[in-house]
Amino acid sequence: MASPAEQLPPGWAAEWDATHQRYLFIETTTGHTQWEPPAAGSAETENAPPAGVTPAGGHGKRRQYAAGQTQAYYGGEAAPDPAYGQASAGLGVQQQGGQLFTPGLAAEGQFANQQQIAQQGGGTQGGYYGQGEPEYLNQQPQQYGQPPVDALANQFGQMGVGGQKQFSLYTTNLLTLPPDPRDLAQPPPEIRLPPNACISPSPTANADPSYFRSTLNAIPTTSSLLSKSKMPLALVITPYRSLNEGEEPVPLVTDTVIARCRRCRSYINPYVQFIDGGSRWRCCLCSMTNEVPQLFDWDQVRNQPGDRWQRLEMNHSCVEYVAPTEYMVRPPQPAVYIFLIDVSHAAVQSGMVATATRTILENLERIPDEGERTKISIICYDTSLYFFSMPPGSTDSSMLVVSDIDDVFLPKPTDLLVNLAEARGALEVLLGRIGEMFQENTIIGSALGPALQAGFKLMTPIGGKIIVLSSSLPSHGAGALKNREDNKLLGTAKESGLLQAASPFYKTFAIECSRTQVSVDMFLFSSAYQDVATLACLPHYTSGQTYYYPAFNAARSEDALKFAHEFGEVIAQPIMLEAVIRVRASRGLRMASFHGNFFVRSTDLLAMPAVPQDQSYAIEVQIEEAITIPFVVFQTAVLHTTCYGERRIRVITAALPTTSNLSELYSSADQIAITTFFANKAVERSLTHKLEDSRDFILQKLVDIISAYKASMTSSGAGASAQLAISENMKMLPVLILGLLKNVGIRQSAQIPPDIRAYSQALLTTLPSQLLIPYIYPTFYSLHNMPPEAGTIGEHGVILPPPLPLTSERLERHGLFLIEDGQTIFLWVGRDAVPQLIQDVFELPSYDALRGGKATLNLLENQFSQRINAIVQKIREMRRGVYYPHLYIVKEDGEPPLRLWALSMLIQDRADVLPSYQQFLSSLKDKVNGASGGY
Amino acid sequence: MGGWVFLFAVLYAAALLFGMVFFVIMYSDLESDYINPIDFCNKLNQFVIPEYGAHAFLALIFLLRGEWTALLWNLPLIAWNANKLINKTHMYDATEIFRTLPQHQKEAYFKIGFYLLSFFYYLYRMIVAFIAEADA
Repeated sequence: MASPAEQLPPGWAAEWDATHQRYLFIETTTGHTQWEPPAAGSAETENAPPAGVTPAGGHGKRRQYAAGQTQAYYGGEAAPDPAYGQASAGLGVQQQGGQLFTPGLAAEGQFANQQQIAQQGGGTQGGYYGQGEPEYLNQQPQQYGQPPVDALANQFGQMGVGGQKQFSLYTTNLLTLPPDPRDLAQPPPEIRLPPNACISPSPTANADPSYFRSTLNAIPTTSSLLSKSKMPLALVITPYRSLNEGEEPVPLVTDTVIARCRRCRSYINPYVQFIDGGSRWRCCLCSMTNEVPQLFDWDQVRNQPGDRWQRLEMNHSCVEYVAPTEYMVRPPQPAVYIFLIDVSHAAVQSGMVATATRTILENLERIPDEGERTKISIICYDTSLYFFSMPPGSTDSSMLVVSDIDDVFLPKPTDLLVNLAEARGALEVLLGRIGEMFQENTIIGSALGPALQAGFKLMTPIGGKIIVLSSSLPSHGAGALKNREDNKLLGTAKESGLLQAASPFYKTFAIECSRTQVSVDMFLFSSAYQDVATLACLPHYTSGQTYYYPAFNAARSEDALKFAHEFGEVIAQPIMLEAVIRVRASRGLRMASFHGNFFVRSTDLLAMPAVPQDQSYAIEVQIEEAITIPFVVFQTAVLHTTCYGERRIRVITAALPTTSNLSELYSSADQIAITTFFANKAVERSLTHKLEDSRDFILQKLVDIISAYKASMTSSGAGASAQLAISENMKMLPVLILGLLKNVGIRQSAQIPPDIRAYSQALLTTLPSQLLIPYIYPTFYSLHNMPPEAGTIGEHGVILPPPLPLTSERLERHGLFLIEDGQTIFLWVGRDAVPQLIQDVFELPSYDALRGGKATLNLLENQFSQRINAIVQKIREMRRGVYYPHLYIVKEDGEPPLRLWALSMLIQDRADVLPSYQQFLSSLKDKVNGASGGY
Repeated sequence: MGGWVFLFAVLYAAALLFGMVFFVIMYSDLESDYINPIDFCNKLNQFVIPEYGAHAFLALIFLLRGEWTALLWNLPLIAWNANKLINKTHMYDATEIFRTLPQHQKEAYFKIGFYLLSFFYYLYRMIVAFIAEADA
């Protein structure tokens, strides 16, 4: 028999009474209760439509379709509206199929028809919601499907009155459980929103982890709960990520109907509620009631009434709007690229100039230039500046030399910055000639500062991207730097001074750049000290990126290949111009601090002159007042101009449930996001304090988390415990933190050159999680005994062997291993490797003939070589970002520096003063027990 | 004579007090986004050195006049300012301003309190000195 709830006459509700194990029947208008089912019920049962569907006739044409949501929002306690008596009131959440009718469908007939479809039940959903995937509907019936009410009742029964499933917390003991690298590939804890929070059935209604991650997927309701748990609350956003092949592009709303909240200026999204018959909507961030724009239900393409439920912004968490003129300070600007090429002796000798010009030449085609508006300019510099004037239409160019670098001026008002399409011929000729033009250049020294000023002057009215290629420390003119590398300082408290900017020029210049919408990318090549820390300031504050190729030498084809690949990708990237990012959140939450490459222009506004793809930003969130709503919404809005000259707004909406339960808090923690946030925090701290402090800070955070977890979630409470407990979903956190502490950017060592450290820190603060996690916890494969299917093409491309834990115990003397961190790949060859293996992979007779170092693997005529090449290829391509890792061959008894470098990636081992994972855990345990014993 | 020195000091402290109030107003402007951080820093950086200088000048007068208590009262602030100058942290940095704003605000409130106390102290000393002169 079906639940009595569906057999009740109007005005009655059934409530399950747990103590008496039977239903209590309530007359909702009077509050009268009785144990017997109301008599009228059985007579009407046959005719009454199934529960959950508003009888269309009963209400005439009254459009009450938001009640279900309101109900869900305020919990099930509220007395149900008598008109909805037949709905499953009392079961916690009202199920209102009728709410999903479309106000836009003008004809009543259509409405009625739709209702009928809804009544037919879950199986025949196809008609109206045909665009949805049926299997999804069946998975998520509580959202809007119409399965039999019994099932619903059961489901809601399990969910409790709040309608929210509980996270179940599994505690694991770290001491007995070695970390398994495969756990890192697991998705973040599921986001369990209350039912009916989202008005769209679309699986894309909540943000994908690649766009948005939160350290906690259930937001604590009060700041005291958060501080009790010791967990960090932060967001990791990558609003502009590259799309892999086969991925849908971000949906684009083209009709310029942009519904925004009047008060908090948030954009309409799948988490708002429509009220007053759909003529108004309630903002999910600030609860303000707003008018729905008139054209919201109008299909402007076909010029007929549209369906608001099918609007892209109501179904996708990540959408782009074409912005009308209100969102522009000026007409969309063209993309502008200025290349500053170092042509001093060192640069020419290393082959950088030749490789760079060839790469630009080869990639001219790929520079985004759809409307033929893109402008380009090339400036060379050593201690003077060399401009190239390219009159449109001709293939000639003339060089203009400016040697006055104290007061930089442009030698010519026009033709220096040329339209790419118009001056294509001249550019091609010029790029072919630059290499030989400076072939004999013996000038040593670099006037990088003046070159930057010149480039800046050239593009000031428009803004755009300056791409700097520099092979030596800037030595002339503004922004000249001194060699401050001092090996005695390394490993001491003063080391962090070397990681801070040496000259204020780069900071003030960066601010000027940010103001005039100029972004700077740095490509650095020096073999000697180049002060990466200072130069990286420019990309840091102008949303660019630093690329570093220490001791670049194009004579090695690997170097040339890596640089050409990465440089080409950077040039070809479709960038966002003139962007500002604002992150809004529900009331009570405040964005407290921001980490990443941008300039903070006001308390919550990030200015980015040009947004490159796949850069990640971390934002710390503060809970300012207690949160009373069942779920919160974070909305990231990026107002930008595409490089094709269109002003757009990208909106990424993410909804997270709130919780007042500590165990739910722990079980919803996302270890990847936490690590990403800590990496940013550690780098920031190493600059403001000391490197030592930053390591201590991170370690202390981890100890605090584990102590708090132990005190509140395990039976041992505050006492000492033989276990080191943490929830299942955070079990990789300690090893990730250990990896972070051992990362080049943070590691305790007196041997790391400041340039390498600074570059590593730049990576730590910009890499998206997908790249950052392998950078912190490298991947380790055993190749000589990999399963037969590894290296062959499978369902998702090349199959990779199973990753191993990062410990040298796994290294075998006769084996072939691969270690990679997304930036470098090491191929480790054991000293007893059989000649056949060496022959198959390297085409060499024996191990002794093999040489270590940078190498290219030739594709040989045997299956093993092909499989290994496929794996290397896959590793180079599978992640986002432009990086093309070098491949090093490491012999087990080869040169010590290379061997130690490769071994330093096995972070679970003991190295020097750095503890092994086991030691790390036992010291953690001591700290945790000691800390709680002290209370 | 001592009375006139303290009269000058009273006016001087009042001027410094207003200067600090101006700083505080600017901070709140920045917080509520009435001014962008670049303009904010350019504007305030002009006043940092004059403010330090003015305060040091007052202390110098006390030193020359041999007003030891007044000098002693001012010494900690001079040391604080000098320390900031030596570490080159006295200027406002537009890239860091939102991170350091709470510190700056705290410092500004402290200085307001300090100048206010100074003001009343100088006023008291001025009155005492004038009464003493009138008696003499």
